[in-house]
Amino acid sequence: MTSPSPSSRKSLSKIACNRLQKELVEWELNPPAGFKHKVTDNLQRWVIEVNGAPGTLYAGETYQLQVDFPEHYPMEAPQVIFIPPAPLHPHIYSNGHICLDILYDSWSPAMTVSSICISILSMLSSSPAKQRPADNDRYVKNCRNGRSPKETRWWFHDDKV
Amino acid sequence: MGNKLGRRRQVVDEKYTRPQGLYQHKDVDHKKLRKLILDSKLAPCYPGDDECGGCDLEECPICFLYYPSLNRSRCCMKGICTECFLQMKTPNSARPTQCPFCKTSNYAVEYRGLKTKEEKGMEQIEEQRVIEAKIRMRQQELQDEEERNLKRREVSSSNSITASAASDLCSTAALSFTSAIEGEEIVTSEDPCSPSVTRHPLRARQNREDDFDLDLEDIMVMEAIWLSIQESGRRQNPVYRQMAPDQCMVESQCISAVTGPVAGSSSSPSGGLACAIAALAERQQMGGETSSSHGLNMSTYNMLPGSNRFPCTEEREPEDLHHTGGSAEALPDDIQLAMTQGEREWVDNRSEMADIGTSYAGSDGGEADVATPSSFPLQNESNEVFHPIAGQIVPESFEEQMMLAMAVSLAEARARTSSPGVTWH
Repeated sequence: MTSPSPSSRKSLSKIACNRLQKELVEWELNPPAGFKHKVTDNLQRWVIEVNGAPGTLYAGETYQLQVDFPEHYPMEAPQVIFIPPAPLHPHIYSNGHICLDILYDSWSPAMTVSSICISILSMLSSSPAKQRPADNDRYVKNCRNGRSPKETRWWFHDDKV
Repeated sequence: MGNKLGRRRQVVDEKYTRPQGLYQHKDVDHKKLRKLILDSKLAPCYPGDDECGGCDLEECPICFLYYPSLNRSRCCMKGICTECFLQMKTPNSARPTQCPFCKTSNYAVEYRGLKTKEEKGMEQIEEQRVIEAKIRMRQQELQDEEERNLKRREVSSSNSITASAASDLCSTAALSFTSAIEGEEIVTSEDPCSPSVTRHPLRARQNREDDFDLDLEDIMVMEAIWLSIQESGRRQNPVYRQMAPDQCMVESQCISAVTGPVAGSSSSPSGGLACAIAALAERQQMGGETSSSHGLNMSTYNMLPGSNRFPCTEEREPEDLHHTGGSAEALPDDIQLAMTQGEREWVDNRSEMADIGTSYAGSDGGEADVATPSSFPLQNESNEVFHPIAGQIVPESFEEQMMLAMAVSLAEARARTSSPGVTWH
């Protein structure tokens, strides 16, 4: 049960392991449109390719999401970031951190990787402009020593994008 | 047996009155938990199954394990196993717990024992409606896309012929592709274990709200599920059971009919264009016709658009016989809901009709298509069987047709429940 993950995270609990395996099977049967799971032998870290939806600002662009699962997934939210270069978006910081409530306060164990992906794509698709958050530089500087976005106290103010 | 005062106690093995170790629970009051389980206020802590073995199990949407019964949210009736529920309810938290499914605060569950047949039926109906809506949405999308392509084609007139042939090719390919899958689905839905097929979408349900961006594959999967639900309803009809041996044969016909036009169109673009136009025209026509024919003959009618779909097959004569001439008013919702599995296919046709009458006929015609290949096996049957029916047993009014159909399928449903193990392969 030891995880080959580079970090010192605790390995997945039995229930987390079981659920992730089932999510993976479900994903392979029925992947969310626009996403591709990059196959690795590491169940605790998924790398997912995101294709910008046609007809949106990100059409034709490809980004990578990194999803790290905590020991007590799904009771605890996974950590989801874009592997830089992250898309230019008012809620996505240049270090890949995403300001999206369901990843933090509004996480529910009824959500899945697949539903997270759909939310992220929807967030991208509704973007009015390709720009960084106003406080990007300050925030990224504060995260210098590899802080997880889950430790950030997010303020969710915009329910349109 | 016997009347007991107070709440019914359930007989639960002592070992299922405590957590099975799914989680490392903290702060669980074991005494209280045991009492709640014995008082039937919480589901027993049965060990969860990895697989839906008996097919009569419910999947907990949190741990993805299968249980004989689940607790239900008071707010949204979603299921949850007792151990996951204990995880949600952290007793020391200051904040009231939110329902993990609908976010209503003060999350609470109740336990109603095993799901009744009615509840399962209702769930399936609901499931099916969502699938239908998704299919409609996707078809609209495809249509929009086609229109966009059309416009693009107008702009670039230099290579207009090849471009249009290519895009029409796409549309025929898409149409036939879905039906190929439907053909397959007939095979898979013969699996006596069809509840596992219908149960499958439950897990997908949590993404449904924001899952607007479907691709063709999603559609096909949904159609497959939709059909399998239909098929499982249909299986209770003895006529279909008798037909089972023929079915394989018809299926392979169906598949070859499907692959035929695709292969043809890829080799000659103009052929593909013609096929596509023909298919579109027929779909449109069908959209119109659907609204004037309904009633008792609905299930037989089902197959007709299917044969229409393939421009190369000419099996349309019986169609006119199906016009029973009633008016196409939609059923009130509560009646639809009151119906049991048996008449589901029937109900769906009714609701589709209402849609076709009001909104985009073209794409709804396509939706009616969805219903057809499942009844493909009927095709040769109906040509022979159908004439006498059309002549003799046509109830006069629409209401009578309704009543008759309901009565018939209720009787069938009853027959099925009294004889379990209706399994054929």
